[in-house]
Amino acid sequence: MAETQAFVTLATTDAYSMGCIVVGKSLRRHGTSRKIVVMVSPNVSRSARLALEDIFDEVFVVDVLDSKDKAHLAWLGRPELGVTFTKLHCWTLTQYSKCVFLDADTLVLCNVDELFEYEELSAAPDPGWPDCFNTGVFVFRPSLNTHTQILEHAAQHGSFDGGDQGLLNTFFNDWAVKDIRKHLPFVYNLTASAVYTYLPAFQQYGHHAKIVHFLGGTKPWHLPYDPQAANESSFRDYSKNFEQFINLWWVEYYSQRQTRAKMEDNNEEYKRLHSLQSAQQFVPPQTHHSPPQSQKKSIEAQHTEQTPLQDLSLDSLTISSSKKPEETNILFDALSAVETEEALVVSPSSEHTEPEADEDSAGATGEAAAAEAEQEDLQHRLMWEAGHIDYMGKDAFDNIKKKLDLFLD
Amino acid sequence: MPLARSLSVTSLSGLDDWDEEFDREDAVLFEIAWEVANKVGGIYTVIQTKARLTCEEWGENYFLVGPYMESNVRTQVELIEPCNAALRRTIDKMNSSGCKVYFGRWLIEGSPYVVLLDVGFTAWSLDRWKSELWEKCNIGVPWFDREANDAVLFGFLTAWLLGEYAAQCDEPPHIVAHFHEWLAGLGLVLCRQRQLPVSTIFTTHATLLGRYLCAGNVDFYNNLAEFNVDKEAGDRQIYHRYCLERAACRCAHVFTTVSQITAIEAEHLLKRKPDIVTPNGLNVKKFSAMHEFQNLHAQSKARIQEFVRGHFYGHLDFNLDKTVFLFIAGRYEFSNKGADIFLEALARLNYLLRVNHSEVTVIAFFIMPARTNNFNVETLKGQAVRKQLWDTAQSVKERFGKKLYESLLVGQLPDVSKMLDKEDFTMMKRAIFATQRQCQPPVCTHNMLEDSSDPILNCIRRIGLFNSAQDRVKVIFHPEFLSSTSPLLPMDYEEFVRGCHLGVFPSYYEPWGYTPAECTVMGIPSISTNLSGFGCFMEEHIADPSAYGIYILDRRYRSVDESCNQLTSFLFQFCQQSRRQRIIQRNRTERLSDLLDWRYLGRYYVSARHLALAKAYPDTYIYEPQEPSSAAGFRYPRPASVPPSPAHSLHSSPHHSEAEDEEEPYDEDLEAEKDRVNIRQPYNLPNRNKNQTVGLPEKN
Repeated sequence: MAETQAFVTLATTDAYSMGCIVVGKSLRRHGTSRKIVVMVSPNVSRSARLALEDIFDEVFVVDVLDSKDKAHLAWLGRPELGVTFTKLHCWTLTQYSKCVFLDADTLVLCNVDELFEYEELSAAPDPGWPDCFNTGVFVFRPSLNTHTQILEHAAQHGSFDGGDQGLLNTFFNDWAVKDIRKHLPFVYNLTASAVYTYLPAFQQYGHHAKIVHFLGGTKPWHLPYDPQAANESSFRDYSKNFEQFINLWWVEYYSQRQTRAKMEDNNEEYKRLHSLQSAQQFVPPQTHHSPPQSQKKSIEAQHTEQTPLQDLSLDSLTISSSKKPEETNILFDALSAVETEEALVVSPSSEHTEPEADEDSAGATGEAAAAEAEQEDLQHRLMWEAGHIDYMGKDAFDNIKKKLDLFLD
Repeated sequence: MPLARSLSVTSLSGLDDWDEEFDREDAVLFEIAWEVANKVGGIYTVIQTKARLTCEEWGENYFLVGPYMESNVRTQVELIEPCNAALRRTIDKMNSSGCKVYFGRWLIEGSPYVVLLDVGFTAWSLDRWKSELWEKCNIGVPWFDREANDAVLFGFLTAWLLGEYAAQCDEPPHIVAHFHEWLAGLGLVLCRQRQLPVSTIFTTHATLLGRYLCAGNVDFYNNLAEFNVDKEAGDRQIYHRYCLERAACRCAHVFTTVSQITAIEAEHLLKRKPDIVTPNGLNVKKFSAMHEFQNLHAQSKARIQEFVRGHFYGHLDFNLDKTVFLFIAGRYEFSNKGADIFLEALARLNYLLRVNHSEVTVIAFFIMPARTNNFNVETLKGQAVRKQLWDTAQSVKERFGKKLYESLLVGQLPDVSKMLDKEDFTMMKRAIFATQRQCQPPVCTHNMLEDSSDPILNCIRRIGLFNSAQDRVKVIFHPEFLSSTSPLLPMDYEEFVRGCHLGVFPSYYEPWGYTPAECTVMGIPSISTNLSGFGCFMEEHIADPSAYGIYILDRRYRSVDESCNQLTSFLFQFCQQSRRQRIIQRNRTERLSDLLDWRYLGRYYVSARHLALAKAYPDTYIYEPQEPSSAAGFRYPRPASVPPSPAHSLHSSPHHSEAEDEEEPYDEDLEAEKDRVNIRQPYNLPNRNKNQTVGLPEKN
């Protein structure tokens, strides 16, 4: 327990989060004793993250790193791989002593905890150029120092293929020649291309496969899943022998149905949490208005005990005219607590702070309003994407029609 | 294989004289649908059969746009380099920017060009494009709806293609983009949002919500004006799809649908009245021999009769020459297809035929695919027994012939008492014993997986039509598509239809109705309803359609019971016809084929494109809608109380019946004259462009 280890995967789109779900579930199915974590980029939708949270021990939001190396990516024919630099953030997960990275397009077929016996950087050969390792499956030790060095290396030398694989192969450039113990057996990163280039070997060793990697532009989630048609279907990038793995992938994916109810519960909880956060955001602007009132309160308190209640009542009335009752209650409680503190701190020199308070108040109000609007819009969209649409209210088609009419003649 | 029909001297005049209606100048036509080279439903048939005509009209400037599907491309498309320079640059540009766009020829009649977009390859852009969709239109798409996700990807790729093409043209182009159904509709919205120089058409072949509402046992047509469409779509969890469909409908320059009944549906459910109705056509090939279709009918009927001999062995107590074959076919939608009302009408017909002591027997086939595990053993046995009887008869005939030959050789007349020996009689007796049967001929040809809950079988149990001897109406449920390799009924669908006497399609929900149209082209009369597009179309174009074998059931304004009585009446009238009357009726039915040919119906698409160009480019194109003259060449139908001319009341005397036949001679010239009076002529499309009307006042 002194050292924690983890499997790590990454989603940069909602589609890849489908792959992550299968990675996570297949690791669980085969009884891994390690943690499983996923990194997601900010554009992955809230609903997809909630699905991932049901499966993974941790979900980390990381910034997108894009190589923007269009020339190299064009040679590879995979322009979408520029964002794979985001994977480099896995070296920042220093709460874990050693990790195994699995691409979102892999499927784990059995317990593979033995991978943690290997050292950094251990990986399997890439079938296209076996002296390069394939970065779909690799063992590494998180280290901020290593992370910094990799980024510096990227800045100086770039990546010969525009993606993470080119970069990591030049950073760990002695993998091919130095230590054979860092070469993972091919069955830990079995790719479809092996099946049609050396079919007899697949027949001989294929049943030993431990991790299948759906390398290439076509992913399992792009292919239809029809149990009855499995014998007749044909896949563009995969041979017939790989069909069974595609079907296994889908079986794993659909086994998530049981967690959908949980997802809805999480959505409800998220609603309440968001509502509370929205209410709390009103506190700072109001706080800056309180010095003058608190001064009055301080003076009047000396004379009669009735006066403070009257002031509080006035504040409450002002708030209730513009806010909903529920939010008013929450806001009032918070405001009351803050006012108490402010009264003690500010009263000795209240006159000097008044102008500054006004300026801060104006700026904070505008900024908070903009942030709130943006957050609300994002949350609104995410409700659509979760299938919870307010079709009798703000999402009525008449409102959509108004938006459409803006660009119609 | 296009449906074939014979050349008729009374083919509608004027159709062959049709030529280009307006000068398209430099316009280019893109037709966008998820079903391009991708057969998933009826829209595939529409686009595929229409392609030849569209190619003839637009030539090298016609491009179909659909999804790239590896298996489809391998069997249907020849990949080539684009010949159009601007399109080549467009595709190269897109391919170098992270897309996979393919160009080729679709190997169908007309060999149209196709542009195929690899949707899966750009799945990595889905979230970014969803963000843009949300920002521009306030429409979100649930992450778990894969079909809707495909629609987003396909829509953005299509808009990209059209925008890039417009940018690559040397001169500002006039692009017409025709989008079919919601799966392609987002591309239209984006074209308008980005102010692309594209004139847009959106066609809905059936509204999303309409099909759901009909399937949900809602009293659809009587409540059409009262639905809260947002609520209905939301409750059924198709709200986002419904929004995509309505957005495309709202943004289109021109909105069309396939029939008058779907136009009404669209007006209420999509809140926009279609600008033009664009019916679905067929490719009709002319036979070189006149009335060849009647010969085909006789041949196919004989094969059905053979099947019936096997199916009803031991109970063949009716005259096959006085048996009428009816059929209903299509997707298994018990109420939407009208199977429910058909079965009820059959029960009433059975009663009428029995109380009238009719000699006519009716066999009704239900060809509707359902889940089965195999053929019914009893059914297969029936065909085996029939074959055995045939073999026995052939064997006896051979031996008889041999003896006759030998007798004649020796110069003697054959002794009849010795021509059949004891062994022959034994063989024949054994064969006859084999035909004895304890059970009724089976109603269903297969073993159903859900026998106890199947709607058709449950209805048959309730009405009690079990193929018993005293019933004049027999029922055969064939829960599988027909196949020429079937061990039971080795006919393909077209052959089977040709062998039947009447197709029965009393649909409650049928946006167009290809099955009655196919019957018409083959010269087979059919029953449709005024809730099907085909029925509406025929009702509008033909006075007294029942005289032409097109019976139109009123399911829109009548109650279910009244509709059922009307259907029973149609069936009973049809059963009363003599063979000669049926032949004459088939001739008249077949002459309607031209009405259903794309060469005629394609005009509506021409009109839609012209209207779209006029709306998008008012400086260049002008469209003057010309309402068909309701008086010219059209007469109102006779009152419903007057029976159709081929029918007549029942006469019990055989002699009188034959005499009646003689009194109705078939005169080709007279028939042609009737056609000219009864069938509405096509109207003329406007024939002017803006440049040619400088001196005239602007009317658009």
